[in-house]
Amino acid sequence: MSTNTGASILKPLFSAWSWIFLIGILAFFELYARAETGQTFLFRIYNMQSIAIAASQILLLALGLTLVIVAGQIDLSIGFTTGLSAVVMALVVRAMGPDTGWGAVIMAMMVGIFAAVVVGLLNGWLVAILNVPSFIGTLGTYGIARGGALIVAGGATVSIRSDEARSFGNGDILGIPVPVVVAGLLALACHYLLTHTRFGVHTYALGANRASVERAGVNVKRHLIWLFIISAVTAGVGGLVYTGRFSAGAANAGEPILLYAVAAVFIGGASLTGGQGTITGTVIGAFIIAVIQFGLVFSGLPPYWQFVAVGLVIIVAVLVDQSKDKLTGAQS
Amino acid sequence: MRNFMKSAALVAALCTSGTVQAQEDITITLVPGLTTDAFYITMNRGAQAAADALGITVDFQGAEEFDPVLQTPVLDAVIARGPDAILIAPTDTTQMIEPLRRAHDAGITVVTVDTFIDDGKYQDGAGDGDFPMAYVASDNVGGGRMAARFMAEAIGGEGQVYVSNVRPGISTTDQREEGFKAEMAENFPSVTVLDTQYNENDASLAASQFSAVLARNPDIKGVFGANLFSALGAGNGVEGAGKADDVTVIAFDAPQSIVDNISSGLVDAAIAQHPAEIGYFGVMAAYAVLTGNSVPVSIGTGFTVINAGNVDDPEITKFIYSE
Repeated sequence: MSTNTGASILKPLFSAWSWIFLIGILAFFELYARAETGQTFLFRIYNMQSIAIAASQILLLALGLTLVIVAGQIDLSIGFTTGLSAVVMALVVRAMGPDTGWGAVIMAMMVGIFAAVVVGLLNGWLVAILNVPSFIGTLGTYGIARGGALIVAGGATVSIRSDEARSFGNGDILGIPVPVVVAGLLALACHYLLTHTRFGVHTYALGANRASVERAGVNVKRHLIWLFIISAVTAGVGGLVYTGRFSAGAANAGEPILLYAVAAVFIGGASLTGGQGTITGTVIGAFIIAVIQFGLVFSGLPPYWQFVAVGLVIIVAVLVDQSKDKLTGAQS
Repeated sequence: MRNFMKSAALVAALCTSGTVQAQEDITITLVPGLTTDAFYITMNRGAQAAADALGITVDFQGAEEFDPVLQTPVLDAVIARGPDAILIAPTDTTQMIEPLRRAHDAGITVVTVDTFIDDGKYQDGAGDGDFPMAYVASDNVGGGRMAARFMAEAIGGEGQVYVSNVRPGISTTDQREEGFKAEMAENFPSVTVLDTQYNENDASLAASQFSAVLARNPDIKGVFGANLFSALGAGNGVEGAGKADDVTVIAFDAPQSIVDNISSGLVDAAIAQHPAEIGYFGVMAAYAVLTGNSVPVSIGTGFTVINAGNVDDPEITKFIYSE
């Protein structure tokens, strides 16, 4: 309470820390690259495209997750919702035969997203209707989605041969890679939803104080179900992009990315207790991770440093989150 | 291939000598590293072929993930059922020693396939995990050397290449990298092997790593993907950079998706192991021990190189791991 005046000064600094951090690591890699090899790191289209594609794959899991975390919940199932969508899309493309046109690929994508929606509905039902804590409930559906993906794929990676699917994953629109366009459009949609609609207002309120939202007459159960469906859909789109990029649907497509997605959301300023977080922050968070992954390789540092660096960033993010709460007295 | 012929001849010789006991009563359980992998499923098919040939029973029991914490309870349950022998792909060189000792103490013959415990050298009186009777596997170091020779030939014997690998500490993928680097160092001094990139089985990260290596080393000539996702990711990175004609991608292992990528040109060649052969000779080795014969402690199985030139040849397609 006594730190109120201090908090008002510190708050903008903390909300900007992820920007500062991103600019800092970009500057570091630029200087390092120039000093060591005489090449530029930043001012090459190829480098930026590669980083943006890697960030997009992380972002597609992190976008819906941001909404869920803002509402004070968590969705662990997305790691395998991505894999389920990837495998289902690949299976449908394969079932359509060798000469698939765009119609078949779009149909396959819709079926893939449908599979994701089923997982989202299941999450919503568990958390909203049965009152299972989301950490436990979505850990359960994490297993179910994984098993489902492995069962439909017969335990293997489902490869496809489709020029259309391939161009969805590897093509570009006006020089911008398609996965980046897809992630960008979804990011704009989620940003709009969170900042310009009643749905967004209720999402923040739900994370800050559920009881007051219920008293205000909002249908909290339905709201939660929608949040988990959105989370599943963005993760599912991540699976479609994966299948397009690698011409193969793998059940474990999203599993290694889940950790990065969670990290991106928290680096972006979300709080474990809910009520905080923005899409802009999550986008920055995803880029921070992608820049570090790319930059360390580009700089020629020994590969083991990549493990250390990503771990450090996550710890720093959580530490900043905690001190932010303390300094601004937000832990209520 | 030479190894294979040698071991085939050895096992055949072993099986014809000695007295055959009440064979229909013999049961063997195959415990794979994980049950949901085309490699182990193909291995089981080889094991069943051997079982049919011998008139014995081979069961297939395992966990869904490559993890000692998940494999141990499965193994305990298998021990409780009391088969005559266990063929197992141990998921950790150290952590699986004690669980397997329980099988040994219960009088069950232990043979390891694909992966090993301890130092992988059994019955030599050294180490805690000395009790298995045999280790049947591809010579992963040899496979890595094979990949290196193929790579060197494809890039004209000079230039920069690197290994895209999963993570340090997996015996098989570590050995492939070791063999690849050793062959390059010994026989292709003009080829520079850059730092290995670890991708945690994330094809997306492997693709991003290729982009970064390329940005740093614009003259990069080739990538050796030590497993499926390493190769898929590297291939995608190569395609994204528009370097499919300049950069050679060689994959280890031959599931259908790698083979499809050979057809589409994303991957130039794959070093296929012979998992069915591992299963077949694993069963044969266990059977030989159970019927009172001695077996070689180490049986190495072969490899086949699959590339665009032979990918449709039925003699080659039989080595594609099937689901």
